[in-house]
Amino acid sequence: MTTLVCQSLDVSIAGKKIADGLDLELTPGQFWGLLGPNGIGKTTLLKCLAGLSTPDSGTVLLEDQSMVEIPRRAIARLLGMLQQHTVYVFDASVLETALTGRHPHLGHWKREGAHDKQKALDAIRAVDLDGFENRCVTGLSGGEARRLAFASLLVQEPAILLLDEPTNHLDMRHQVRIMDRVEEQVKNLQRCAITALHDVNLAARYCSHILMLFGDGKWRAGHVDDLLNRKMLQQLYSCPVESVQTSAGKRFLPGN
Amino acid sequence: MIPTTLRRSLLILLLIMSVGSVFLVSAIGSVSLGWGEWLKAMTDSSSQHGELVWRLRLPRALAAWAVGSMLAMSGCLMQVLLRNPLADPYVLGVSGGAAFASLLGMVFGVAVIYLPWLALLGALVSILLVFSLARGTGPWSGTRLLLTGVVTASGWAALISLILSLSPDNSLRGMLFWLMGDLSYATVPGWALGVLAASLILIMGLARSLNVLAMGETTARLLGEPTRRLLWLVYLLASMLTATAVSIAGSVGFVGLIVPHLMRLVVGSDHRILIPAATLFGGLFLVLSDTLARTVLSPQQLPVGVITALLGVPLFLLLLNRARLKGV
Repeated sequence: MTTLVCQSLDVSIAGKKIADGLDLELTPGQFWGLLGPNGIGKTTLLKCLAGLSTPDSGTVLLEDQSMVEIPRRAIARLLGMLQQHTVYVFDASVLETALTGRHPHLGHWKREGAHDKQKALDAIRAVDLDGFENRCVTGLSGGEARRLAFASLLVQEPAILLLDEPTNHLDMRHQVRIMDRVEEQVKNLQRCAITALHDVNLAARYCSHILMLFGDGKWRAGHVDDLLNRKMLQQLYSCPVESVQTSAGKRFLPGN
Repeated sequence: MIPTTLRRSLLILLLIMSVGSVFLVSAIGSVSLGWGEWLKAMTDSSSQHGELVWRLRLPRALAAWAVGSMLAMSGCLMQVLLRNPLADPYVLGVSGGAAFASLLGMVFGVAVIYLPWLALLGALVSILLVFSLARGTGPWSGTRLLLTGVVTASGWAALISLILSLSPDNSLRGMLFWLMGDLSYATVPGWALGVLAASLILIMGLARSLNVLAMGETTARLLGEPTRRLLWLVYLLASMLTATAVSIAGSVGFVGLIVPHLMRLVVGSDHRILIPAATLFGGLFLVLSDTLARTVLSPQQLPVGVITALLGVPLFLLLLNRARLKGV
């Protein structure tokens, strides 16, 4: 069972505190939403959880082992991250790019087999890019590039998925499609996801747990029902919030 | 881009053309040989033209091949490191650094066997200088890269001019030709072929890692690459290949730009195909360029660097314009 655990983690960037003494346990079957205003440090925190940067103090444990002691290749087989920006510089095909997700699973001289190719084709279909397999990545639109990056992550098959604003550049239909895919990973495959989001209603619809960053190192973590309410959101975004009851549950709007 | 299934056939075709070119161009030159004469010379090195073919033309063609393939490989590596298809050892001053260091060694009478080490040092210093200043993403990265490279290159050019202006007149012509990239007196020492073969094997083992690195350093780390180690290895390989090429033929420009670019158009950006294709085509390209250089104004011989630059400069400008249109 793959878990990601933070123990009294202090994270900061350029002297600005992001999280102070963060204790967190991400276990299979949990879908975390990471909420906070612009520039509060959501990306920095995710990078720290991915082992890309080291915290000021405290430890991140992946499968009960400190992240700094695990080789990058072993981390990549367990943990994957969708970065906030996706820019493709060189002309590669969509299929080739999706196949890069197999990289940590293959030895130096090993080539991708039919099995790997099938996984890539499935992932491409899962993000509605079927028919694009031989297209060149430099010609994709922002939203298409975003979906392709997510497909590569699916091909990587990590037990822990870190997603930095996965719905960026996506239209409403594809926002829901991507979040559905993440939900499938969490529920059907017993993986665990943490997703930085700006749309609190997507968090309300999909997430089981919420981590809120308030700035100055203050944070709150817990079950979605305990945290996602009008009062907390007003405090989080320092802006009036209205809540409305819909057939699918409570949703939130900016108030006056 | 050609279909994946044809890529292997293309490599075989390039291999045949590459090897064939080295032998065939030995028939061409100021003394042109007919097929019969050429065959006789090839089979019997003591025949009338045997000496010409075996002692002069074949070693020169082999040197051209080795230099071309090493520069093409080095170009591919630098383009990955910088995530920019405009990177080239000559344009970014890496060849310049190697040339300056060797020239300085020659002036101070350093033994010939140590000159390649000086070239390596010069290449490493330039590559680290350019890369530490010009790496990164940001909207200015392309401009910053080219500016840093061009300034580094002109810095080396100034130091080289200083040495030249202090050198005696009788050695000037030889030095100038060498600096422009010249294969007239070039031969390939065994160690250079060793460097070429070893680098190719090593790079082929890293080819999929290079694909990942081309997507950015963070992406590469997330996909399991220990990027710091990988980057150092690639820096070192790119410098070593450039330095070896420069030790053989001086600074031949733009091969590292032209060859990978053309091969990318044909085979795409998967380094498992791109690297061998660029290596083979780089060799072929320089063999043909050098043949042009020694025949176009025959019996007058041109430095091959003149030919490659005349082909490379328009292509570079074209690429730059395309990058501008794309907003890269």
